[in-house]
Amino acid sequence: MTQHVSPQDLGIDPDPLLSVTGVGRFYGERIGCADVSFDLWPGEVLGIVGESGSGKSTLLRCLAGIDAPDAGEVLFRGSGQPLDIYSVAEQDRRRLMRTAWGIVHQNPRDGLRMDVSAGGNVGERLMDRGDRHYGKIRERALDWLTRVEIAENRIDDRPRQFSGGMQQRLQIARVLVSEPKLVFMDEPTGGLDVSVQARLLDLLRVLVRDLGLAAIIVTHDLAVARLLTDRLMVMKDGRVVEQGLTDQVLDDPHHAYTQLLTSAVLSV
Amino acid sequence: MTLHQIIPGEDTKPAYNYAYLDEQTKRMIRRALLKAVAVPGYQVPFGSREMPLARGWGTGGIQITAAIIGPDDVLKVIDQGADDTTNAVSIRRFFERTADAKTSEATDEATIIQTRHRIPEAPLKAGQIMVYQVPQPEPLRKLEPRETETRKMHAWAEYGLMQVKLYENIARFGEVTTTYDYPVDVNGRYVMAPSPIPKFDNPKMHMSPSLQLFGAGREKRIYAVPPYTSVRSLDFEDHPFRIQSWNEPCGLCGATDSYLDEVITDDRGGRMFVCSDSHHCETRRADGHRGAMLADASALHLVDDKQAKDKVSKS
Amino acid sequence: MTTMIHVENVAKTFTLHNQGGVRLPVFDNVNFSVEAGEALVLAGASGAGKSSLLRILYGNYRPSSGHIHITHAGRAIDIVAAVPRTVLDIRRRTLGFVSQFLRVIPRVSALDIVRDPLLARGVSPDEASERAKAILARLNLPERLWHLAPATFSGGEQQRVNIARSFVDPAPILLIDEPTASLDAANRDVVVDLIGEARANGSAIVGIFHDEAVRERVATRYLDITAFRKAA
Repeated sequence: MTQHVSPQDLGIDPDPLLSVTGVGRFYGERIGCADVSFDLWPGEVLGIVGESGSGKSTLLRCLAGIDAPDAGEVLFRGSGQPLDIYSVAEQDRRRLMRTAWGIVHQNPRDGLRMDVSAGGNVGERLMDRGDRHYGKIRERALDWLTRVEIAENRIDDRPRQFSGGMQQRLQIARVLVSEPKLVFMDEPTGGLDVSVQARLLDLLRVLVRDLGLAAIIVTHDLAVARLLTDRLMVMKDGRVVEQGLTDQVLDDPHHAYTQLLTSAVLSV
Repeated sequence: MTLHQIIPGEDTKPAYNYAYLDEQTKRMIRRALLKAVAVPGYQVPFGSREMPLARGWGTGGIQITAAIIGPDDVLKVIDQGADDTTNAVSIRRFFERTADAKTSEATDEATIIQTRHRIPEAPLKAGQIMVYQVPQPEPLRKLEPRETETRKMHAWAEYGLMQVKLYENIARFGEVTTTYDYPVDVNGRYVMAPSPIPKFDNPKMHMSPSLQLFGAGREKRIYAVPPYTSVRSLDFEDHPFRIQSWNEPCGLCGATDSYLDEVITDDRGGRMFVCSDSHHCETRRADGHRGAMLADASALHLVDDKQAKDKVSKS
Repeated sequence: MTTMIHVENVAKTFTLHNQGGVRLPVFDNVNFSVEAGEALVLAGASGAGKSSLLRILYGNYRPSSGHIHITHAGRAIDIVAAVPRTVLDIRRRTLGFVSQFLRVIPRVSALDIVRDPLLARGVSPDEASERAKAILARLNLPERLWHLAPATFSGGEQQRVNIARSFVDPAPILLIDEPTASLDAANRDVVVDLIGEARANGSAIVGIFHDEAVRERVATRYLDITAFRKAA
């Protein structure tokens, strides 16, 4: 009666956007991360959770093209043929990272140009890809500032005049303006007050859904994972100890470490 | 008398090599120049030497001139558009003494024109070589402090950031406020610092019949724009590049199409605008062009103009 | 009749690794099917595992063994073995879960929450709004609340928004966990009617109802899960 049914048979996207196979990074004897494999499909949001030092940020840097892994490969299928991001020329990887990818850093200072106005920060990726019409660049920057709930009259202010939450929203606008297919986020709500976090999370949730973004989010906050992600990978000592649907992993954790993580939280 | 004749030595054997630099160094610089000409706008590293004047006084330009000058050359040196300022006079004399070079203030007589801050108003000709003194050869430096990163940005023509700088200007001031060392795109490939010339001079670089060489002594870089090469000033479609313009003509020669300097004439707010290119201005006056303030200027001894003085004394 | 759910030899044991590895068997050898148009009510004492079973059917809890075949897009798919995005697709199109709690989304109005599933299925915004308003009115949610975000609503009001969202366009399979817990009699009647209508339209329903009167009115069949309790 039950035949094997693949997602393709159901008319869901046939090809993964990102295929990760056996990725590992080592610091001498010490493991940064090891044996990580997964596929990510268009529109999917994957969470990577674990304590500090579990290797989740190391893994993110390998996936995002920042640090080359010592083992394994990362294939990106932006359009057409899959691209091994660490065997293509650095030039192509950089172009990919400026257009089809986006990285939202935990500290907005790492992702923003602090001496450049909000409009210039948002417009940079457009100028990177060759846009040369000031009026149109500004119009799109305004549109994106509005989408991330930054008042239009702040367009010429510099990020250092912004609050932490606004800086983070600006960083998100700066990344999303080029309509990337895949966004990496490292503790996007990290240094923010709880109330500011809630607003940012809601914004991210809506943007991810409306734009059909695929995203990989590193967080130690299970509530963030619950709200934003479809799937979860739990990491410990550099390895993935459990993965699955987010609600499965959080509500019915099987691995001892995941049970410890979920029970350590008051309510998620 | 030239330097290598007056320095005491064995008989008449000169103490210095021709044009000061030793032949190996000149060869090294020429190799860098050839590479620079072959890749327009690309910054070629070279082994910059100590020169008998302080860095920042044009050691890059002097080394290039020393490497290309020969006994048949006629050298013109411009500093801030003028032939008679200290730096211009010193450099001219340096090559007179070390290279037996003929010198001239006339743009059309010169075969080599070493310059700081200006390109002559008179059109350049095929066969002439412009040598620019460059303090900061890297147009991206203020935006990206890491040399490793700027090299990659040039290598892969990642010039969005340069455009961000112009965007910021327009956003803040309504226009691009950069008035000198205004970045240009050379041959549709490299973004280049044209050295601190006013943006007024940028269009003169475009498709110029002359060979343009740039030397940065302190930063140890040489780059070039070969003759008849496109040089486009960066801009936006809806904010096109524009050069400076003035509301009045040159007070001395009446020119309306030259780059003007503002000169304060007294302590009561008196001022006048005069051509920054002194040779251009003199040539025009010699041809009979008269500016509105020529008489006053002459009276103030700002210019040495016989006819004007005569006019003043007659009146 | 179409079999919508077919449960085959499902067992569930929780292992608590951080409490000395203690194993909590919940049930074993669960076998049953639910047809389209049926309302199966789970019976059994509190703690018998009714809610756990419901969550297993939804793919939220993972059974220790066995298969759960869900009829989705005309095919029977084992939700236990399905990859995550298949499970998400099943939930999006076939499998609805109605709990007593609304997952409040900050700054989204009640009307938009109810409208959302219709829009996701391609209904035009105007029609979606009309249908959303109709069901909110039917559940007696005051009109002045429709355009507010439910974060500040009372428990009963939030619950009605949640029910409206689930029944504005009922999924082919509805898993229902105590939907009437804090509702007054009038609204309870509306919920019972909604369930009946969904069933009449062919939805397969599996539910837990503490209120005996409600249970009687909804159920077409009972399943006592005490029978599946593991002999410990």
